[in-house]
Amino acid sequence: MALRDVKPTRSELINLKRKIRLSERGYNILKMKRDGLILEFFKVLDEAKTTRGALEEKYGKAVGMIALSNTVEGTLALKSAALSVKEIPTIQLKSKNIMGVVVPEISSSKVKKGLLERGYGLLGTTSVMDETASSYEDLVEAIIRSAEIETTMKKLLDEIESTKRRVNALEFKVIPELTEARDFIKMRLDEMEREELFRLKKIKARTKG
Amino acid sequence: MSAIVGSAPYLYVCTRFRVRRMKLIPQEEYLRMLQMSLPEIIRLIQETEYKREIDELSHSFRGIDLIEVALSWNLAKTYQKVLEIMPEGLREMTESYLRRWDIQNVLAILRGKAQGLPPGKIKEVLIPAGELDRDYLDKIITCAEPGKVLESLKRWRLYPVLARELPRATESGSFSFLENELYKQFYHDILDETGAGIKGGKEFLEFLRLEIDIRNLQILFRLRVNGAKGEVVTFFIPGGTFTVEELVRLHETSSTDAFFDSLTAQLKNRELISLLGRFRQKNGLVPGALHEIENALTLMQYSRLEMMARYHSFSIWPILAYIERKKQEITNLRAITRGKQAGLSTEQIRNYLVM
Repeated sequence: MALRDVKPTRSELINLKRKIRLSERGYNILKMKRDGLILEFFKVLDEAKTTRGALEEKYGKAVGMIALSNTVEGTLALKSAALSVKEIPTIQLKSKNIMGVVVPEISSSKVKKGLLERGYGLLGTTSVMDETASSYEDLVEAIIRSAEIETTMKKLLDEIESTKRRVNALEFKVIPELTEARDFIKMRLDEMEREELFRLKKIKARTKG
Repeated sequence: MSAIVGSAPYLYVCTRFRVRRMKLIPQEEYLRMLQMSLPEIIRLIQETEYKREIDELSHSFRGIDLIEVALSWNLAKTYQKVLEIMPEGLREMTESYLRRWDIQNVLAILRGKAQGLPPGKIKEVLIPAGELDRDYLDKIITCAEPGKVLESLKRWRLYPVLARELPRATESGSFSFLENELYKQFYHDILDETGAGIKGGKEFLEFLRLEIDIRNLQILFRLRVNGAKGEVVTFFIPGGTFTVEELVRLHETSSTDAFFDSLTAQLKNRELISLLGRFRQKNGLVPGALHEIENALTLMQYSRLEMMARYHSFSIWPILAYIERKKQEITNLRAITRGKQAGLSTEQIRNYLVM
């Protein structure tokens, strides 16, 4: 706010004082929100590290198992068994609120299947196929869990970033400018008061003379 | 099945198969291959009898996929040739023995059709090593839906089972029950057809019973390790040492010790008993050890086959031994190339070789 645009009136001063009070209150609240979000973020970050670690471990296992399956059963048998999969896993997407941030809550069904639900027969396959299917089911579950945690983390990060920007804007731009404008008006009003007093004194002296 | 008169057909066929067996890759060659790099292995395979299939398929496939499909094509061609040179009587029995490949192919087609895959994609996974040859399978692949596939298989031996179980499979979307029923019927038919009229037929019946026992044990272990509950009765093959009810009872036994005790108490095959004893002492029943057990059981089955082929040198045994040895060769070559491609250690690949 440029000072030349500020009207040095008493009503403007009252207005500015009200704005300053509001900004300071907003600043405090946003600062608390930012700190709260950072705390939440660190909690989610720990969880994300764990789920990412589990995801990488499960991915490594699944890749190893598919390599073993290709080795033992052959790609053709593996492809043929893969054609048996009929039920595709489904996910349900809900949302929850963490300090005003809407984050996803993902639940899945039909991911982990029993040996008899996988669709391939037992007489034409070996146990390596079971272990491969099981490790891929574990991987899909880990991906879904990881997707929930990492999306939450990203949303929290975005919110922290925007809250931080707001706090900084209030702290370093809005409040200082308002305070400066308030001080300017105060100074101008004081000056005007002094001028008025001086003028009155002059008039009084001239009338007496 | 018509009986074979005289020993001349056996002398001729068994001699041919003995010569063919000599051409198969020996065990020490696999060990040498394990020490080679992948390009060296591929080059070695290209220099053997698989060259023709590799050249034929090189325009459609690349890399290890080419090798794997070429190996399967070679297996299919070899088995078709086996059937060609077989005299009547032996031919029918061998056809029955190879029918398991038909089951695999028919199921792959049905599953592919149910998933809406194009014929080209389904064709890639077929290994026409059984009674249903490549041309016949190519014709079936063009059918639009599983119902039409069923219609075109009316003359197939296992058609009644397929016709009975396909509606249920299509409705439920799971072909596992159908697959199990087809394999069960396969074993039922082959047990029915084996025996009189063929040299070594009676012993072969024993061998089939052993195979059924081994398959049942493998399934029993898989069901136990995976904690499968429900209609497990449908997964066991009747005709072995154990009745289906006994196998279900064994599956339901809660303690692992009691499970092994009842299992070994009922088994008559000493080799099988000592094998199970070894695994019981070593690590019991855990998912990682399951393949080790399966592999040991398969090896035991093969060594029995080899032994019988030596005892009955002019009978059905040398033919079956050749069929199985050829399958082993394909399995081993595929395992070595795929294992090397995946970066598995030599020791790991060696554990999965059937030698």
